[in-house]
Amino acid sequence: MRLTLEWSDVGEIRAAATTRFSESALEIDVDGLGAQLAEDSRLERVRIDLVHPGEPCRIGRVFDVFAPRAKVEGGPDFPGILGALDRAGSGRTRALAGVAVVVTDQEARSPATLALIDMSGPGAALTEFARCHHVVVSAWPAANAGRSEYLAATRLAGLKAAVHLARASADRAPDRVEVFDLPPPTRVPAALQHLPRVAYVFQIHSHQRPTGIDEGILYGDPVRRMLPTLVHPNEVLDGAVVRGFMGRNSTTHAIQNHRVIRALFAQHGQALWFAGVVLTVAQATEPERVRSAAMAAGLVADVLGADGAIFTKIGGGAPHVDMAQAAAWCEALGIKTTLVVEDMSTDGSSEGMLLFNFPGLDALVNVGGSQESLALPAVSRVVGADDLLPAFQGPLSTTYSSVCGAIEQTGASRLVAVVQ
Amino acid sequence: MVRVVCFVNQFFGQLGGEDKAGVEPDAVSGAVGAARAVQQALGDAGSVVATLRCGDNYAAEQPEAAIARMVALVAGHQPDLLVAGPAFQAGRYGVACGELCAAVQNQLGIPAVTGMHEENPGADLYRRQVYIVRTGADSARMLDEARRIVALGLKLVRREAIGSPASDGYFPRGITRNTPVAETAAERATAMLLAKLSGRAVTSEVPLPTFAAVPAPPRVGDMRRATIALVTDGGLVPRGNPDNIEPLAATRFGAYEIAGLAELDPARYDNVHRGYDTTYVKQDPHRLVPVDVARELERAGAVGKLHEVVYSTTGVATTLAHSQRMGREIALKLKAADVTGVILTST
Repeated sequence: MRLTLEWSDVGEIRAAATTRFSESALEIDVDGLGAQLAEDSRLERVRIDLVHPGEPCRIGRVFDVFAPRAKVEGGPDFPGILGALDRAGSGRTRALAGVAVVVTDQEARSPATLALIDMSGPGAALTEFARCHHVVVSAWPAANAGRSEYLAATRLAGLKAAVHLARASADRAPDRVEVFDLPPPTRVPAALQHLPRVAYVFQIHSHQRPTGIDEGILYGDPVRRMLPTLVHPNEVLDGAVVRGFMGRNSTTHAIQNHRVIRALFAQHGQALWFAGVVLTVAQATEPERVRSAAMAAGLVADVLGADGAIFTKIGGGAPHVDMAQAAAWCEALGIKTTLVVEDMSTDGSSEGMLLFNFPGLDALVNVGGSQESLALPAVSRVVGADDLLPAFQGPLSTTYSSVCGAIEQTGASRLVAVVQ
Repeated sequence: MVRVVCFVNQFFGQLGGEDKAGVEPDAVSGAVGAARAVQQALGDAGSVVATLRCGDNYAAEQPEAAIARMVALVAGHQPDLLVAGPAFQAGRYGVACGELCAAVQNQLGIPAVTGMHEENPGADLYRRQVYIVRTGADSARMLDEARRIVALGLKLVRREAIGSPASDGYFPRGITRNTPVAETAAERATAMLLAKLSGRAVTSEVPLPTFAAVPAPPRVGDMRRATIALVTDGGLVPRGNPDNIEPLAATRFGAYEIAGLAELDPARYDNVHRGYDTTYVKQDPHRLVPVDVARELERAGAVGKLHEVVYSTTGVATTLAHSQRMGREIALKLKAADVTGVILTST
């Protein structure tokens, strides 16, 4: 399977009458886009704000972040969620660097679950989202829209905006081209058969909070009773997987630019052979958990024939253990594993960092601890959280978990919790 | 100019050997004995204004009196920093250094630092509370080690960021701090896996747990004469959560009477656990706390007696310290009520 991402670098964004490129600036028809997004009957109104790196600005109530992508060859955009059902992962896809779509949640009541992005100051140093321009989409629910209908509509608005922006680059020569080309796992050239085969086990949702029917995650499927499933890594990069409504410490943007998949592609054919991706969900009950761990390990060991596997998790403590159980099963089958974990301590003590203790799970990378306290200074502009002013303008006394993109569970994090 | 008070034992304070181990605390002006290495390490940055001395046996045999007197002596000199030791592998001395540093930090709010060898019992006892620089077993490299102790101490005085245990040379305190790194977690994980695949040693970014094994309890024996209690960390509470049990990171547990109840009425119970999907246990609390079946067994005589109190908390993001404390408290109550066995349901 071969996917080409055709990148355009965006140096600037500004409101204009038409959405189009002008040199490296992306001009955006903010009113037209807003009107298009507001056509969804589940939404009452939509507001769009433009935010820039370095601005003394805080984006509040962040629900999810999307990377602008538009298919120009090889099927519809975000099949099963936005476009018709088809396969993702092949052909050509337009991609924009330096700009993202941020969608806010205007309904969340508990301030503890709110995420933010600071575009300058100490909070900005913690997340890559501070270094790109943002088209911030805020939508308010129609009177009859329930919670999950509102979130589904809001997420769809974000995906539509992401496609709308990337589409503007379609008739333009890309600045860079990136090719992800990986044959089926059985077709390894003879000269490369000595390379260790490495699989990635990607937990895409935790059923600590079960999904509703409109919370599509994999090709639009809410993955309610999903058993471990093999996919090609290109499918993940190209819109087959989006984040659920409450993916703590991850975003759809991180999945579209998946760091583990990119890191394995970077070494593919040189230090390793990328054997494939196993998708899993963290389950709610013991038999489901054991079944999932056993089957995931079976796919890694006996179907992909991997020598090693990398694991990540999404969500809180139970998914942490689900991941470890599958990895322990792999180790028992002779597969070497590395796990990307979060520091789970709630009191900052090293004893609480880990929630498992299985033999063989001795290679752990951590993405930092979300409970550590964090002080953020006051900002002059707040976007997406008018109802929380003036308190939200700061200074804020919060935790790392509130900074969108800081403690990133699928591997983008550039923080590590160090024991001192 | 940073004002420093040093603490040394009788030997490093040039009072004598084991024959002087009983001497009481005193303070002399300036740097005496091993404190001269501290002064040398300080250079122009600071001055040792006084050296405290105390015999090893005196400190070990009446620790409370010794520490109280030395804290008062430290306070009298109003230093910016206390440097204790280094104690190397000397056990009584190391414990006194750790205890004095902890007391001075806590009672006077003055930063304190010490140094010792990893096998000194003081290291394990005090490394969580006090910055303890790793030293050799004896004083062969004292000046070099004094420099590292002083460097760390000056950082504390100036409230500068403290580096990692490896870079600043102290024993890990068991506290986690988010620290920026250049490579993403994904890149580090890939590199770590490649190292593991090629048989090279890898350094985990999370210390592997060293939980003590919990021995399996002896069998209950004759269940027909046993009193069995139901305990859960799955978050069962009476409706309204009267004990305000936290939905996560619990510090409290509840004790709920079930005397006279043949089963739990779902209308009267709720579940506040925030770590799993509680839909099914809210529909039927027996899926978590099987009072119904336990009563049947009690009626049939298969179980002697069902204990009439259910203990419940939420086991999610609970700190190890609170878990252990709550477990101990619940166990004591069960023991006092002559309970023979427990069915513990976790989620």
